[in-house]
Amino acid sequence: MRAARAWRVIRFGITSIALYAVWLLFTASLDAFSLITGAVGSVAIGALTHDVFIAEHEASYRSFMPNPFLLVAFLVFLIYSMYLSSIQMLVALVRGHASPRVVHFRTRLKSDLARMVLSNAITFTPGTITLDLDDDHLTVHWFLATTRHSRAAGEIVKGRFEGYLRRVWS
Amino acid sequence: MISIVTELIALAAFTSAAVFGTAGIIGLYRFPDPYARMQASSLCGTTAVFSVFLGSLALAPSWAVATRLVVLMAFFLVSGPTGGHIVARFAWNSGIDPWRPVSPVIRPARRRFGGGKVERAKDSPLPPESGID
Repeated sequence: MRAARAWRVIRFGITSIALYAVWLLFTASLDAFSLITGAVGSVAIGALTHDVFIAEHEASYRSFMPNPFLLVAFLVFLIYSMYLSSIQMLVALVRGHASPRVVHFRTRLKSDLARMVLSNAITFTPGTITLDLDDDHLTVHWFLATTRHSRAAGEIVKGRFEGYLRRVWS
Repeated sequence: MISIVTELIALAAFTSAAVFGTAGIIGLYRFPDPYARMQASSLCGTTAVFSVFLGSLALAPSWAVATRLVVLMAFFLVSGPTGGHIVARFAWNSGIDPWRPVSPVIRPARRRFGGGKVERAKDSPLPPESGID
């Protein structure tokens, strides 16, 4: 019980500090009123939402704290692939060529956050939308499908994202 | 001199935003089923808004504004696809059948994302409906 309580306090602290950092970033003022209001608001919202921000079972530091440099590298790669796939979507739109298909596959990622980011990245990129994420099982609508083999489809759709994300949130 | 360069960058970003936004709206009307429509509109819409952010970042007057824009971009990278996912998930859960074109066209260029592991004969159409899906 004591470990659970300590973990709750730590989650509450991390949530409040993150909220306060965003508050400082957006207000960009050092008035006493602004600082105190932000602190009170952060603590109140942190007390209400720390269960959502960091789930109780994510009791490992690396599962919710990203490696910052790899995260930035991942975001740059994500933006690059976003533009690439937008251009492919544009071509498909003009030529009217498509082979839409729903595929299922699994992911090797362990952390909930990493799985969420993976499904988000999949929704961005190779002409795919994540329809459902159930534990480690992804249901994906693939607009420009090239295969109906589910493992091969998983490898193509996940692409390099999964490997990068495994290093960002191990 | 620098201002001209940043303005050119912003111009390119805003132009691509206009192109992608228009493509998203065309896709919304061109495809027959909700999934394909979500594909076109959410992907191209996200790219369009992101391009607008990039252009504004190039024109940002100060570092404070630029930092806030970067935070906005990060939030948008989370919220944009999530919106598309929610609509698509609702369609999936309500049992809407995905559209199947009569003769789907294979695009071998998509192998780029597979790291070259999956090989497939070029220009071979998918096998006909077999009900295995």
